[in-house]
Amino acid sequence: MGKQILVVDDSATMRQMVSFTLTSAGFEVVEAGDGQEAVGKLNAGAKPNLVITDLNMPKMDGITFIKAVRAMPTFKFTPVLMLTTESDESKKKEGQAAGATGWIVKPFNPEQMLKVIAKVMP
Amino acid sequence: MSVDLSKFQTAFFEESAEHVATMEEGLLQLEQQPSDLDLLNRIFRAAHSIKGNAGMFGFTAVGEFTHKMENILDALRNGQMDVTKPLIDLLLEATDGLKGLLEAARTDAAPDEAIVGPLRERLAACGIRGQAPARGLSQPGTVPLPAPEPVPARRYAIHWAPDPAVFARGLHPSQIVRELRSLGELTSAVDLDHLPTLEALDADGRALSLSFTLETEHSRDDVEDVFLFVCDDSELTITEDREASPRRGVRRHGVVATDATDAETRDVHDEREPRNTDPSVRRSAFSAHRSEGEAHKLIGEILLEEGAISPDVLRQALSQQKRLGEILVEQQAATPQQIAQALDKQQKLAQAAPAKKAESASIRVDTEKIDKLINLVGELVITQSMLSDLGARFDMDKLPVLSERLAQLERNTREIQERVMAVRMLPIGTAFNRFPRLVRDLATKNGKQIQLVMSGEDTELDKTVIESIGDPLTHLVRNSADHGLEPPDERAASGKPEQGAITLHAFHEGGSICITVADDGRGLNRDKILAKALQQGLISDTDKLTDEQIWPLIFRPGFSTADKVTDVSGRGVGMDVVKRNIEALGGTVSIRTEAGKGTTFTLKLPLTLAIIDGLTVRVGPETYIVPLLSVIESIQPKPASVKTVVGRGEVLNVRGAYLPVMRLAEVFGVKPDITDPAQAILVILETEGERVAVMVDELLGQQQVVIKSLEKNFQKVAGLAGATILGDGAVAFILDVRGLIELARHGAAVAA
Repeated sequence: MGKQILVVDDSATMRQMVSFTLTSAGFEVVEAGDGQEAVGKLNAGAKPNLVITDLNMPKMDGITFIKAVRAMPTFKFTPVLMLTTESDESKKKEGQAAGATGWIVKPFNPEQMLKVIAKVMP
Repeated sequence: MSVDLSKFQTAFFEESAEHVATMEEGLLQLEQQPSDLDLLNRIFRAAHSIKGNAGMFGFTAVGEFTHKMENILDALRNGQMDVTKPLIDLLLEATDGLKGLLEAARTDAAPDEAIVGPLRERLAACGIRGQAPARGLSQPGTVPLPAPEPVPARRYAIHWAPDPAVFARGLHPSQIVRELRSLGELTSAVDLDHLPTLEALDADGRALSLSFTLETEHSRDDVEDVFLFVCDDSELTITEDREASPRRGVRRHGVVATDATDAETRDVHDEREPRNTDPSVRRSAFSAHRSEGEAHKLIGEILLEEGAISPDVLRQALSQQKRLGEILVEQQAATPQQIAQALDKQQKLAQAAPAKKAESASIRVDTEKIDKLINLVGELVITQSMLSDLGARFDMDKLPVLSERLAQLERNTREIQERVMAVRMLPIGTAFNRFPRLVRDLATKNGKQIQLVMSGEDTELDKTVIESIGDPLTHLVRNSADHGLEPPDERAASGKPEQGAITLHAFHEGGSICITVADDGRGLNRDKILAKALQQGLISDTDKLTDEQIWPLIFRPGFSTADKVTDVSGRGVGMDVVKRNIEALGGTVSIRTEAGKGTTFTLKLPLTLAIIDGLTVRVGPETYIVPLLSVIESIQPKPASVKTVVGRGEVLNVRGAYLPVMRLAEVFGVKPDITDPAQAILVILETEGERVAVMVDELLGQQQVVIKSLEKNFQKVAGLAGATILGDGAVAFILDVRGLIELARHGAAVAA
């Protein structure tokens, strides 16, 4: 079975694209529409090897979500990649401070995304 | 691996449309609740999503424009700007501009710069944070991808002292080592200078530092990339040995690259950003996938690419190529006229094509609906297997079981049908949500105060119907805002609140949906309508008309009682179009009005267009379906009540009213069993207030039928609305009552 990746984004289009890219590359994908839903999935027993999350989301934003992930013993060392836009320079810092492993800058192409994943996937 | 994401474009446009709607709706609300931070966040997120996604598809114009809006929204969010009416106006206009840009992106057209250009400037002027536009979103194609320079083998001395925070973020030094190793030949050493004594050991403190020597053909950027996520909180030096000197021992910590010039010892922190945002890297995004792709390559192109032919050969071959039309004319298989007609048709089709593209073919469905459907299909499969099991060893004793199973099958089928129809059902709110904005604009323009009240937005109906009622509804709302409601002073004078109200309400009634558009304005003016109708010759002054007969006059083409034509309504086009559009959907419009109190328009529409209740009738060997909605009654007339009148053909006297008689057999050229009207059945049909008596051999029954389009599968046939497949597999035509009445009128004109 392929490694599992949790994809958190409120934009269905983005989720679809990211999931499609990841499943095409042989990963198993779990999707969530916001941080709250993602935390729910983690609590419900999802065991992703890596997490990709958007930052601007309703209910629970990406920064709060990353902090929540780091606070869970199981996922203390799970790589978390955040999706940012280049104008989010401060967000990038904030995300790192919250515990994000790295980032993928939007817009990105599938190959770039897979490259970054390969970089941090345990 | 190459992944083509262009197929997600449809999803992008759909989602963006939703985001735009959210922004518009949010901005309108924001005007009322300027301090609502949740609301602002919602609007900001919508803009942000559009921007982010647009970039993914290379829609740079959309991305840049939204970025400017986002800046303003962000400033509002941070309290750096205040919500004012002019600002909301600007943002609303920008939302319109954004819609235009999205539409342009979707149809691959150039955006309308006359609209977008000034908006862009106003937005930029407004954004107080002089943020540079996102570099990654710069015009595509302007920056050529740099050709990779051949890099000779280089040797890098790397020293890395990671901050412990790095590991708390889920990174592991082994990953760095792994990645460096993939670049070339690596020697690594752990630096133990910082190792504390056991007593002072802090498990979380910085203890580790690593030194590497890497011999690689990769560029320095590639090496720096390895440390992309750690350089912010690590001590990192990368030094290049210019000369491929013999391998030296790994330097110890603290000794920084003595044999390299200062310029080459780059501070990674400073260099990181520009490289990272290099448009040439990011822009590759998905624009490459947006072309039609390999599938649509011309054969000549492929041969050229593969070097099989030279461009000259290709050009020569192409010049000899004849057009199909020329060949056909030469072979006398077709006349030049026929070819010209066909070309003309082709051109028209080509022009129609973009319009077709505009119709989004997809629909977003609640997963719950799909789950239920899947569940039902499961039950259907069970029933089917039970039936085939029964069929395998059937004897007459099992007849009751068979009929029980068949009843079950029928139930399954009906439920699935209902569920599938439900998939196409959308809440009418999607058609309503344009109105808050419209009413706001109309109120501003007309100097009126208008409150819009909407209810029943959750009422569901077919997607096609929703798409088609938008325009008629818009017209009615405009009409109410423009003519129905009085200016504030006039309202005050007649003892009404200065603010007028327009109420939109949707609800189910039987198998139909009713939508009312009501205003509390002045009501329709009876005398004005009568005078106008008289002037237009629609009525004569001897006509004694009841109110119920007068109000529908406003639906006559060219009818308008507006004293002056405004730019929104009162041009005398519209109300007739409203009525026609609604009737085309199988619906009706009615008016209720009271002088000084207001006017209510009620639209009654079928829930779906795909299935109708039909009356099956037989003419000779053929079966036809008559839409049940149009059937008034079916009678077997007395011989004396059918007469032939000069100039009108055959007519039927129904309680004093004379209706044209249509012999369906004659219309469709079939041989009937019965030719004497007194022996046959006359079905009286009505649409738009006109009636016709259609003569058939026999009434067969009543059933729901699924409409199959004739236009799509064959061509439009006058008098027929479509076809369906009957229980026995035969095809039956569905009558188009409107078309039949027109045929009857035409026939009468020919007879006269």
